[in-house]
Amino acid sequence: MAEPILAGVAESDLGETPDRNWLDNAAIATVRALEDAGCSLDDVDGVAVAGGDDYMPALVLSEYLDLDEPSFLEGTEIGGSSFEHFCGHVRSAMARDEADVVVVAYGSTRKTGPTDERSLEETHPIDGFVRPTGLFRPPGAYAMAARRHMHEYGTTEEQLAEIAVATREWAAMNPEAAHREPITVDDVLESRKIAEPFNLLDCCLVSDGGGAVVLVSEEKAAELGVPEIAVAGVASTSTHRQDISEMPDMTTTGAAVTGPKAFEQAGITHDDVDVAEIYDSFTYTALVTLEDLGFCEKGEGGEFVSGGTTAPGGDLPMNTQGGGLSYCHPGHFGVFVLIEAARQLRGDYEGDRQVDDAEVAVAHGTGGLLSSSSTVVLRRES
Amino acid sequence: MSAPVEDRREEWEGPVPVPTGATVPFWAGALEGELRYQECDCGHRQLYPRAVCTACGSEDPPFAASDGVGTIYTYTVCHVPGEPGFGDRTPYVVGAIDLAEGPRLLALIDAEPESLEIGARVAVTFWRVSEAAAIPVFVPE
Ligand SMILES: [Zn+2]
Repeated sequence: MAEPILAGVAESDLGETPDRNWLDNAAIATVRALEDAGCSLDDVDGVAVAGGDDYMPALVLSEYLDLDEPSFLEGTEIGGSSFEHFCGHVRSAMARDEADVVVVAYGSTRKTGPTDERSLEETHPIDGFVRPTGLFRPPGAYAMAARRHMHEYGTTEEQLAEIAVATREWAAMNPEAAHREPITVDDVLESRKIAEPFNLLDCCLVSDGGGAVVLVSEEKAAELGVPEIAVAGVASTSTHRQDISEMPDMTTTGAAVTGPKAFEQAGITHDDVDVAEIYDSFTYTALVTLEDLGFCEKGEGGEFVSGGTTAPGGDLPMNTQGGGLSYCHPGHFGVFVLIEAARQLRGDYEGDRQVDDAEVAVAHGTGGLLSSSSTVVLRRES
Repeated sequence: MSAPVEDRREEWEGPVPVPTGATVPFWAGALEGELRYQECDCGHRQLYPRAVCTACGSEDPPFAASDGVGTIYTYTVCHVPGEPGFGDRTPYVVGAIDLAEGPRLLALIDAEPESLEIGARVAVTFWRVSEAAAIPVFVPE
């Protein structure tokens, strides 16, 4: 099957953007990503957008960018993994010659924007059960899953903290990262309690910002002369949505399904993976995803991440921009794992921040309350 | 079963359930100290209440009364309030409770965090928080 080429990537300004709304940030990221790909808004014939605080976000962004009758429109909302999920739909559309240049975009003002205050009359029936518990979501929900993992497999808070420490080492090399000062396992354990077993440094930060990637057909990529970073495998699934109590087994995510599928499509094994960009809304998110993707046996994630495996110089470089834990997290982090995977495969960086001769990257998104999973395998064609 | 229903309307500042649609019999039961789940004629048991059985597709599966006991599948101690009205309660415990009958339910656990462990047995009580609803709260057995 023809594989879409990831031709351009970009972020909007990150951190605090009080004078922008979600749409501004998505649009800014889009035009920057198009510039990165060497093309323009006139080339765009497809839009995929999720996470916008608007009804019909694909229409809203298309209008805002004044696109000329786009043939591909996508707004499926499955949370933070939506952007990986879109890669599969874009591949199908391109195989049918329905689109040549598709922007996959996200924007938010999660930090400075208005918050969503709805009454229980207006929400899903399960909210009548969940909200009166006072559970702080999402952290409390992920914390409950982490606690269950600790119970079943002996995973420790120290092991979870190792992920935050390694991720911060990557962030230290990223000028765009929100938090760059080094931290230790003790720093994580001694940080403020949020929802046990999570401390503050187990949790992603909250920021404003947007990101976009441009997916183009092989023909268009040849015309543009961009590095050929191909979407070689992609798979998505979900296990539940509205609350963590509906997750069948809190120690196993949908990545156990999507990982093998995406790897098989791409014709790769774990040994082929040079860099992993794994959604890290919380330390546990990354740990359980590594297990479910098969980088280690189920239950051995804690041991796997200990000792700097995912840090600079480790066997599996992970979240090489600093992740949601240290770089940015405007709500849906999934677009940023694609951006960083592409940059590593293009060899955009210098020194220790660049993973040597990276040819295969795994970008994994997680959405909801560990609810949705989407895995993308990206491969640099030589 | 009939579990205690404490009137907490005066002190409760948190969100209040609004019985609607398929959830109405659940909240009616709670006011009377009865924890209800849906048990379809096909044998499938489910919570939260839905208009269809997720096993066989039957509409409006009937409710049955739980014995109100179960075990802690997992829990968290919340140090940051997740809803308005919870600020004075921190830290408080939220658990996922596996009822003896099968369904899993998210609920407050009214106990000291140090005393809890996964797998421990708990029993339901109810806190009446509005005219229309009492919420299930679990305590160690
Ligand atoms: Zn049934």
